Amino acid sequence: MQRSHLAAEERRFALALFLPAFVVLVLATTFPLVYLVWNSFLRLDLTMPWVSGFAGGDNYARMLADARFWHSLQLTAIYTGATVVLQVLVGLGLALLVMQIPKGQGVLRVAAILPIVLAPVVVGLFWRTLVLAPDFGVADFVTRSLGLGSHNWLGDPQLALASVIAIHTWQWTPFAFLVILASLSALPPDIYEAARIDRASAWQRFRYITLPLIRPAIVVVVILRMMTALSAFAAIFAATGGGPGTATEILNLYAYRASFAELNIGYGSALAVVLLALTMATAALLFSVRKSA
Amino acid sequence: MKRAPARAAMLGLVAGLLLLVWSFPVLWGLITSLKTERDVLAYPPVVVFSPTLANYRDVLFGATTILPNLVSSLIVAVSTTAVTMLLAIPAAYALARLDLPAKRATGFYVLATQMLPPVGLVIPYFLMLRGLGWLDTYHGMVLLYITAALPFAIWLMVSYFEEIPREMEEAALLDRAGRLRALWHVILPQARGGIAVTVVFVFLNAWNEFLFAVVLAGNRVRPVTVAMFNFISVEQTQWARLAAAAIVAMAPVIILGLLAQKHIVKGLTVGAVKGGGRR
Repeated sequence: MQRSHLAAEERRFALALFLPAFVVLVLATTFPLVYLVWNSFLRLDLTMPWVSGFAGGDNYARMLADARFWHSLQLTAIYTGATVVLQVLVGLGLALLVMQIPKGQGVLRVAAILPIVLAPVVVGLFWRTLVLAPDFGVADFVTRSLGLGSHNWLGDPQLALASVIAIHTWQWTPFAFLVILASLSALPPDIYEAARIDRASAWQRFRYITLPLIRPAIVVVVILRMMTALSAFAAIFAATGGGPGTATEILNLYAYRASFAELNIGYGSALAVVLLALTMATAALLFSVRKSA
Repeated sequence: MKRAPARAAMLGLVAGLLLLVWSFPVLWGLITSLKTERDVLAYPPVVVFSPTLANYRDVLFGATTILPNLVSSLIVAVSTTAVTMLLAIPAAYALARLDLPAKRATGFYVLATQMLPPVGLVIPYFLMLRGLGWLDTYHGMVLLYITAALPFAIWLMVSYFEEIPREMEEAALLDRAGRLRALWHVILPQARGGIAVTVVFVFLNAWNEFLFAVVLAGNRVRPVTVAMFNFISVEQTQWARLAAAAIVAMAPVIILGLLAQKHIVKGLTVGAVKGGGRR
């Protein structure tokens, strides 16, 4: 009797502590999302407010026939896939290399913080002006010195996509590096002894001992980097604004441009709903992979 | 044995290159900010030049001052941090330690809100805040910022609360101190480090936020990340001033990042490490 009374009291206390944050989350995130979904079924064009009204599935029907939408979806896949793969491979490679360095790892760990803490919009602007600007940028200086000529890094459609992928990879590889390095440092050194006696090659030691042990860290990196890449906005906005044309317009950028540049909020909302579904599906998939791993 | 020096040299080279690549934009930005606009446009890029502080004077006190924008950023980031922590600390404690009804589901809900694409939030917020007349206001902006900060802060705090030994609070409870007093006098002092780290992260993210800011900003409330674009126009880019403004705007986060350096990895992996697993 006494026990259950205490338990009930504790539950009430827990609710009292949790409820304020919960109410704010529901009102500040879930309610706006419901409103977003509702708007995606409206004709809501700020340039023509007089034609606003319920439109049923018109926005979604329009999307199916919208080449720009399919293009942005494709770019999202390329951008997310390329940046995540590059970050994991480069980050893993660097972490393995740096593990060999007996002294001075600390300095590298500190330097790795620098890209991560910078605002992506500032990173985008830095690269756009100081690195990738034709003629004055450092990238052009390097390629010209090497006899590879001057390039319009952000003005040429294909180079622009490669450039924004490079910018994202530059900013976030240190994160993959730090997580994997932390995981490698935590491995007990004696696990390699038996393998060395068995004359396992370096590759075999990596493939059959190191890799399985740091796999959880890699999975965490993939999940987080994927989420960040899917919501990437500021660096691309600052570097190219989605251009030239629509060359770097990932779904995020398209939803933004449709809503706030073209002022067609109904259609922008529908694009954002697709992005939301895509993000949630990816998250669910990644977490189920992680659970089975 | 013979290969050892070559190997060491190679590793040293890799380390040096890494240092250069990671610190490059900040270093190059710093150098550029000390140049005159003419020196910036020199080809090949000049490294030796007579440095000037004129750009800093211009972006801080001149016609193109970003001081009001720094103030905007500070107000928004501090308010966001304060409100977020006030809500997140008790909620995280309940999630970490108490018998919260439907704990698994609520934990998952918080995690899901952390994964929402920002552009999906900013569109309905623009309409709602416009309807309320809250565009270009601090409270409107802080409300939107909280949507990103709160789930993150809850999860980070949960991980810190879980590290505190249970015996601590049990001892406090035996003293009939009551739950709330145990939380206040025993748990919170123990979690001081975790609270500090969470504050740093929430502040840092709010300071760096751009998408929310650019949609809601107006003439009154214009965070510094948005004001950065003042130096770029179709006709002309003010390179050196842009660099100076960027250095000034990023100085606080660089300092905070270096201070919280040891905790960065934990702060960035929260959610993925915990979420969807045990809970």
